[in-house]
Amino acid sequence: MTETVLETQGLTKYYGSTLALDHMNLQIPRGCICGFVGRNGAGKTTAIKLMLGLLRPTAGSSRLLGCDSQQLEPVIRQRIGYVTEGHRLFRWMSINELEKFQRAFFPKHELEKFQRAFFPKQWDDKFFADMIEYFGLPRKRKIKHLSNGERAQVSLALALVPNPELLIMDDPTLGLDAAIRRQFLEGMIELIMREGRTVLFSSHILGDVERVSDRIAVIDKGVLRANCSLEEFRAAVKKVVLSFADSTPADVDIDGLLHLRRSEKELELILVGTADEQIAEWAKSNRAQNHQIVQMNLEDQFIEYTAPANHRRLFRWEEK
Amino acid sequence: MRFSTLLRKELRESLPWMLLAAIIFLAIGGFSLRQVQLGGWYDWSERYFSSRPITETYGLQYRRSPLQIIGPVLLLTSIGLGLVLGVRHFWIPYFTRTWPFLIHRSVDRKTIFWAKLTAAIITFLISIGAVWAAFYSYSCDPERFAMMPIKRIFIEGWLFVLLGLVVYLGTALTALSTARWYTTKIFGLAFATVIIFATILEWRLGRAFAAIIIGAVILLSQNIDSISNREF
Repeated sequence: MTETVLETQGLTKYYGSTLALDHMNLQIPRGCICGFVGRNGAGKTTAIKLMLGLLRPTAGSSRLLGCDSQQLEPVIRQRIGYVTEGHRLFRWMSINELEKFQRAFFPKHELEKFQRAFFPKQWDDKFFADMIEYFGLPRKRKIKHLSNGERAQVSLALALVPNPELLIMDDPTLGLDAAIRRQFLEGMIELIMREGRTVLFSSHILGDVERVSDRIAVIDKGVLRANCSLEEFRAAVKKVVLSFADSTPADVDIDGLLHLRRSEKELELILVGTADEQIAEWAKSNRAQNHQIVQMNLEDQFIEYTAPANHRRLFRWEEK
Repeated sequence: MRFSTLLRKELRESLPWMLLAAIIFLAIGGFSLRQVQLGGWYDWSERYFSSRPITETYGLQYRRSPLQIIGPVLLLTSIGLGLVLGVRHFWIPYFTRTWPFLIHRSVDRKTIFWAKLTAAIITFLISIGAVWAAFYSYSCDPERFAMMPIKRIFIEGWLFVLLGLVVYLGTALTALSTARWYTTKIFGLAFATVIIFATILEWRLGRAFAAIIIGAVILLSQNIDSISNREF
């Protein structure tokens, strides 16, 4: 049986009268990289802060590494790496000072590369030096003088070096250019290659999620809409274009219908979890001339999956 | 190790304010004392700082201790430093969004709070307490001043230093509160203000000290509760 390292049950958060998170039930098994995706204001940061016990839930609970988030012991926190949104670090510290500060909260050991995987929650000076050198960061420079990308790299190094069992990152690649994002993701993969490490990272950049994740959790307006393997999600969300000789059918009653767009002789359907055979059968029974399942990338799938039912164009000059 | 690391960080963040407070207090206090020594401000201070014209009423030779002249400077510097440190330690991390980075580590929140408070106490001791002690020892030399400072004035000065810490705790409580300004958020600062007036208006040292201690304990317990339960 796979061990669950992160679990939420009915996690709910209200800010005043605003519902930020609605009964979220999320399980993340050990050893996976889970992309936590959602639009702006969907509730990703709130969910992450609730999981880490930085916020108090209005209802429900969450457990990290078997411990209630609201009572996370310092020893448990030591096993969890956290990269904050926007990589907020102490601006007056230099990289060296920040390393010294962070190191004080972990037992220190000089480990060989192969040993690191077996000694979680221990600070490794050599590994930190390796990462800083790899990223090409000036160690004496103060955080306030670093660019966004450089701060992100320092942030990742600080979170990775203690070799956490669980790494939670809140939009870590926000504002980074493609090259730095690539480096950042490689750093993350480095962590996962060690046995039993788990990563949860929220992101707007679906390409990143597709590149590194093996699991995806989709949150929309505070509701967890999907929590499955990436392959399952990729296979489940489909776009089908059907052409008709005369006109499109008035009623479309196919299982898994999410959105429907209609033109004179064409019907575009967004379906979730509908089998290809079922689509073919429906097309035949409704006398479609032909039907085509359009390949979508993850970004398109995500946009369609989270689009509101009545989504309209931003600009509607033609209609005026 | 962890506490000392946190303490060093807080002390480093307090350092500019520690120096500034020490410089202000040293400059204004030193200048005032020097003026008193030269005899220039004696009459002036008597005229403006005395609440009652004792010399006129009783025909006595009224002389103020030189240290009394810098009492208001000490009080204002102490209150100012308390406010600034409270803002630096508890408000600025909110604006710079560094609370989550500080909180998520292998220490409990109370340790973080104690590190901040200890840093504030050290800052007060160095920047105001040490300067005040230096002024006292300077004033005790009979070759410099005709009138020797009495111990009571020295102790009063330390009460003012403690008042600065009360203001620090009040500012911290206000900063940690998530309530609105017009509701309970203002409690910390308002309560500290009450303690300041209660202390200044009380001429018996024991009672003034008791007011400060009671106020500080109330604010401290509220602060510990706030930091343990606050959302970051």
